[in-house]
Amino acid sequence: MAEQTTAPVNTDEIKSILDKHKDQVKLSLKLCAHCTLCAESCFLFHVKDKDPRYMPSHKFINSIGKLYKKKGNVSRKTLEEISEIVWRKCVLCTRCYCPFGIDIPKMIALARQICRSQGVVQQFDKE
Amino acid sequence: MYDFIRGPFAWAALIIFVIGTIFQLVRYFSLSKKAGIVHYKTIPAQKTPESAVQLPFMARVKLTILGVSPVTVITSTVFHVLLIITPIFLVAHGVLTDVAWGFSIPAFSEGFSDFLTIVVMICGAYFLLRRIFSARVRAITTLYDYIIWVIAFAPFITGFMAYHHMFNYNVMITLHIFFGGLMLIAIPFTKLVHMFYFFINRFLMKSEHTFGKGSRTW
Ligand code: HEM
Ligand code: HEM
Ligand code: SF4
Ligand code: SF4
Repeated sequence: MAEQTTAPVNTDEIKSILDKHKDQVKLSLKLCAHCTLCAESCFLFHVKDKDPRYMPSHKFINSIGKLYKKKGNVSRKTLEEISEIVWRKCVLCTRCYCPFGIDIPKMIALARQICRSQGVVQQFDKE
Repeated sequence: MYDFIRGPFAWAALIIFVIGTIFQLVRYFSLSKKAGIVHYKTIPAQKTPESAVQLPFMARVKLTILGVSPVTVITSTVFHVLLIITPIFLVAHGVLTDVAWGFSIPAFSEGFSDFLTIVVMICGAYFLLRRIFSARVRAITTLYDYIIWVIAFAPFITGFMAYHHMFNYNVMITLHIFFGGLMLIAIPFTKLVHMFYFFINRFLMKSEHTFGKGSRTW
């Protein structure tokens, strides 16, 4: 589970991280044809019975995509949901393949960085 | 209305397409940087053991996206090739360039173009059905994807209907020019920019999936 804190979300900090990578994030989101050809390249997609939520594109659209669309104005709960995606549904093995060369792992890593900046992290050692 | 669409609108569309394209390219080069020289840390090469077997050719093809999603990739390839070729080598469009600029492009016979148009429409139907019925495609589909679908395929559908004089020719040809223009306008500003960024991303940006070396980075 995500570590529970009640500290308010620092929107400006999220925004400044997003701004630093704005060009690439914006382009990746715009470029994605929503074609799903990347699905099979992710081993987790296979392992999880081809659950669409494990498609690389689904993962980056619903993590960094969400953060970008809301310009960082997200609640802690949303960040926790995002952390579920970027840590539990992706291991950053960087094997995903998109015909347009969208750097999906980089997008997911960025969403992790944003979660981490707000103290929302997944703890794997306490279970 | 008809006159507006056939006259100023069609020209405006063409001009916006060209300017939008230049704008996108300028923006790309101003936002990206020249990639520095990367020194890859190399792992000392290991001798391939004698017993290692090279996968047979067909087994390796099966691991590419063509092997994994053959129907989609083949349909997509056919669609994209025809999308470019069909309108360029069309008798009617050649007449237009002849009138406007005084040169005409060699054209396929009308019957053959008509056939290609039908093939494009079949590819379009495949993409649409996939979007509606495939759970994984639906999972990341929004209204935007359907709008783009209309923008991409309406020029073919209306061009086909005009050529066959379905309904009222005047209305159909005006609609055709409207949707043709809309597509041209949309290419630089919607997800259809992939027409340029496909090549930029795969040939220029330095990454694991670049063909060749790649010379630029974000
Ligand atoms: C904006 C400028 C455009 C103009 C002025 C224009 C004009 C025309 C005209 C006059 C026809 C002939 C109809 C007939 O035979 O009576 C035609 C057919 C056609 N157009 Fe366009 N067009 C434009 C853009 C496009 C675009 C962007 C596409 C596709 C990407 C396209 C695809 C077609 C096709 C496929 C047909 C022929 C359909 C068939 O023969 O079955 N057009 N167009
Ligand atoms: C000329 C360079 C182009 C290249 C290399 C290219 C490449 C691609 C690739 C790799 C895909 C994703 C795989 C797929 O779904 O098939 C795709 C999807 C698509 N492309 Fe292109 N494309 C180009 C131009 C265009 C243009 C000019 C249009 C339309 C005006 C267009 C319309 C589409 C559409 C509608 C899709 C999504 C299909 C779906 O709904 O899944 N493409 N393209
Ligand atoms: S393959 Fe690329 S363009 Fe297609 S859905 Fe995946 S990330 Fe998007
Ligand atoms: S980096 Fe993440 S999304 Fe990409 S293949 Fe690995 S687990 Fe799947």
